[in-house]
Amino acid sequence: MFTLRRWWDRHRLQTILLGLSLGTALFLRQTNGAILYEIYRLLGIPFQPNQREAVLQNAQIEELQQRLTEMESQNQQLRELLGTVKNEQKQVAIAPLVGRSADHWWQHILLGKGSSAGVKTGYYVMSSGGLVGRIVSVTPHTSRVLLLSDPSSRVGVTVSRSRFMGYIRGQASNRAIMEFFDKVPDVRQGDVITTSALSHLYPAGLPVGRVESVNMNKSPAPEAVIELTAPVSFLEWGMIYPHAQPLSTEAEPNQTPNQ
Amino acid sequence: MMLKNQSLAANWLDRPLMRVIANCGVTALSVLLCVLIAPTRLPGMELAGIGPNWLLIWVVAWSVKRSVFQGAIAGLVLGLIQDGMTAYAPTHVFSLMAVGILTARLRKERYLREDFISIALITFAMAVIAETITAMQYTLESNRTLVEIWTYHQLIALASAVLSSLWAPIVYFPLNRWWQHLNTLEQ
Repeated sequence: MFTLRRWWDRHRLQTILLGLSLGTALFLRQTNGAILYEIYRLLGIPFQPNQREAVLQNAQIEELQQRLTEMESQNQQLRELLGTVKNEQKQVAIAPLVGRSADHWWQHILLGKGSSAGVKTGYYVMSSGGLVGRIVSVTPHTSRVLLLSDPSSRVGVTVSRSRFMGYIRGQASNRAIMEFFDKVPDVRQGDVITTSALSHLYPAGLPVGRVESVNMNKSPAPEAVIELTAPVSFLEWGMIYPHAQPLSTEAEPNQTPNQ
Repeated sequence: MMLKNQSLAANWLDRPLMRVIANCGVTALSVLLCVLIAPTRLPGMELAGIGPNWLLIWVVAWSVKRSVFQGAIAGLVLGLIQDGMTAYAPTHVFSLMAVGILTARLRKERYLREDFISIALITFAMAVIAETITAMQYTLESNRTLVEIWTYHQLIALASAVLSSLWAPIVYFPLNRWWQHLNTLEQ
């Protein structure tokens, strides 16, 4: 008891400080660094970026072209099906990019709008150019986006022209690898890639990128290198769109089998 | 006037309690600054989209003249914070703890003089080690292919090591001056 007491007297300060710092660190970890990102956002307000008009415009034209291709293709399908109407989702907010990933292994960006602007986890982010990524964590004034180019983000996509499906996984720059589900897909260089109807994380038909090269000999399935069209490396604004959580939509088909 | 100011500052730091508070304040503030600068990519501070690893620099600066245990604790604390800022798995705790422990074990004063070069060298080595540990964690987790992980590792390790080592003195020198100042006051 005495030795314990003596130890405490000698190391009281260190122990308290150790406990405090460990406690703070754990708290920050559990809250996903929400406080840090809020402070970061607050300090970053004077340094908010200006738009680079030319880049944005070019990217926008490209997006429109892609959308047109997608629309044409979709139009054809709809004519065959007749009477299917899709509601356009309303955008929640346009948010400036305030930061990037705090580590190099993750491809995150930080947007300057959060839950106070109605943003929630699971919403998806577009920019002029195409799909950027998905929101993975939200603080009152910031939101963290997992980019398409992150190796851990996998998205179901389809070739807009021929409707062959596959999924892409990020390659850490503005490239992604698309793996096809079919053995001999009809795909060629320059084809537009959009999100597929099988993707739960994103709504169908969002422009993702275009095919840069195709490797048909790849085993087990052919692969294509996709160039993402959203200018992620010099992105300055992101448009946030709502999207229902994947789990809730998955349960529905079983409950309504008569549709 | 200068002298008066200095003596005031000295008086102010004379009391042990104030010293502890001031030390904690400065240390916490420096961590906060490193954490806040981590998501930025300032012009001239990035290479292929990769910036310096500020938290690693801080752990190196802290551990250079401290015990292994203190180094490990610093790695643990900053690792947890960085986990919160990115993702839980793979964790940064292992890599930053290893950095803290190894830097403290180095006993820099025995081999190297204290200058820009030695701190930059240590940071360079530690950045490579830290990224390698993260890459190994990815390998064990194995939801990416090995080729992908290790080619990306090359890029990250090199870019982050070069940049971190170049920017390390900015964190190290002010902090080191402050801790030295406190040490002389303690004695």
